[in-house]
Amino acid sequence: MNSEYQPKIVGLLCNWCSYAGADMAGTSRMSYPPSVRIIRVPCSGRVDPLLVAKCFQQGADGVLISGCHPGDCHYNEGNYHTRRRFALLHNLLDYLGIPKERLRLEWVSASEGRIFSQKVSDFTNELAELGPRSEG
Amino acid sequence: MDSELIQQIRNQARDLLESGAVKGIIGYERASDGLTARPFFAYEPDAVERLIFDETCTHNLVKYLVDKKGERMAILAKPCDSRALNLLINEEQIKRDQVFIIGVYCPGVVETSWNQKGQTQQPRCQTCQLLKPVVYDFLAGQEPARQPEAEVYSDIEEIESMPTAERRAFWLEHLGRCIRCYACRQVCPGCYCPECFAEQLDPAWVGIRIAPEENELWQTIRTLHLAGRCIGCNECERACPVDIPLSRLNRKLEKQVAQLFEFRAGLSPDEQPPFATFNKEERLGSEE
Repeated sequence: MNSEYQPKIVGLLCNWCSYAGADMAGTSRMSYPPSVRIIRVPCSGRVDPLLVAKCFQQGADGVLISGCHPGDCHYNEGNYHTRRRFALLHNLLDYLGIPKERLRLEWVSASEGRIFSQKVSDFTNELAELGPRSEG
Repeated sequence: MDSELIQQIRNQARDLLESGAVKGIIGYERASDGLTARPFFAYEPDAVERLIFDETCTHNLVKYLVDKKGERMAILAKPCDSRALNLLINEEQIKRDQVFIIGVYCPGVVETSWNQKGQTQQPRCQTCQLLKPVVYDFLAGQEPARQPEAEVYSDIEEIESMPTAERRAFWLEHLGRCIRCYACRQVCPGCYCPECFAEQLDPAWVGIRIAPEENELWQTIRTLHLAGRCIGCNECERACPVDIPLSRLNRKLEKQVAQLFEFRAGLSPDEQPPFATFNKEERLGSEE
């Protein structure tokens, strides 16, 4: 594997938990790979599968969807809908030949800066092992 | 051709038109090749003599009802098509009391093309579990004696078992042929949005350039919009001018939805769609 290769990850983070979690990671000076491009969305329930499909079409190596833990959604139930939608999207993309490892759903709360940085590092390493999209 | 069945349909249609109960009948007539069927709208009592029903009546006519909103119409519905009626009633696209449904027991339909008809039933008919329509006002014909085979997803599992790279190549080859004529959408009873995401210009989700990636995006989202809603009439595949195996996309999600939520679309008019609800405790197997 090419050690120069840095995967491109699109992070779709919910405004209330995960975006604040990422902010927490930053203000606490925790380091994590610069591979993730963060897009703030009002709720993980806002993540239309269209957004994810578009990210992959535009050349993202991985997409991270992250929201509040189940039960903690700012809008009470947004993330439950995300979970159902994600289960199908995940399977369909895999079926179309975009491996399951390239799309992740993670629950990260506003206080979990360390967990956020850990998860981004793990995801980046995993994608680096998979290599660029053209190789699978 | 079952002449008794056709006579039942014509008599019922004539009664409806003569009594003024409906404005028109949506059914089938013989196409001008003299062999296959085509959709037909009967507005005059005498026109009902053109109505037919046989194994070449493969079209799902339910989509026409979306265009006929506000008019009382009667429609001929096979068991599979009747599921589309339930879907549209459930989603409040048509009103149950505006439609008179002439259900038919279905012997199964064959593949047809101009001046040609297949000798064996379509694969979807061989595993079809519905012998009689799930919703109707009048039922024509007699229960067929056939025993349906169990629903199997062997065509889906074949693709699932391919290595990822091969699967990718398989789909890019098929989707690369798509000319984005959107016939699959126009013919689908579940695709009725007044403005489709594919035609939005700002942002332009699906670009106009000719590229397999754009086709793939269109088909991915089309399939997902039909998740838990596709009723398996296979009209998309029939309408596709470049023979993309669209049923193998739709059936993948049908299989998934059946597995995860024990749900099949269109079986009842007041069912709760799986994506309008959730279960707090569920584990769907793909999150951390």
